[in-house]
Amino acid sequence: MAQAVQKLVAKVPTLIGAAVTYSKPRLSTFWYYARVELVPPTPAEIPKAIEGAKNLIKSFQSGRLAQTTVKDAVRNGLVATEVLMWFYIGECIGKGGIVGYDV
Amino acid sequence: MVPPVAVSPVIKTARWSALLIGVFYGKQRFDYLKPIAEEERRTEEAEKKLREEQERIYKQLSEDNSDTILQ
Repeated sequence: MAQAVQKLVAKVPTLIGAAVTYSKPRLSTFWYYARVELVPPTPAEIPKAIEGAKNLIKSFQSGRLAQTTVKDAVRNGLVATEVLMWFYIGECIGKGGIVGYDV
Repeated sequence: MVPPVAVSPVIKTARWSALLIGVFYGKQRFDYLKPIAEEERRTEEAEKKLREEQERIYKQLSEDNSDTILQ
């Protein structure tokens, strides 16, 4: 038992090295996309966002909804689901845990 | 590699504001639930003591009654 633990402990540096080598290119691709797509909106973009939201509401009211294709509707549904998931992630951060409230 | 897509500002603001609102909501709900859970724990402790006391008395009584001459 002690020998098995010793062998494991001796292997840990190589494991860490292998993990780093594996994750570096993947992290760099993630960073490459995230730097453009996942950044928060700059203060200049917020009025554009508000205007875009108003356009959206107007298009709802003018009945243009009936003209969206199923493909567009599915895509918009996916985007909306993703925004909802960000809310849940924020809730997990706020309550300090992943599953349940740690009261 | 596909070049990164320019995300519309509506979606970007929606995402990050959803994140912030979620953080606040989680923190608020946690602060709301915490005293309720403590209260429940206290009441549970008091009831548990009472129940154990009653069980002890019951056991005591049943032991006292169990030495009969009828085996």
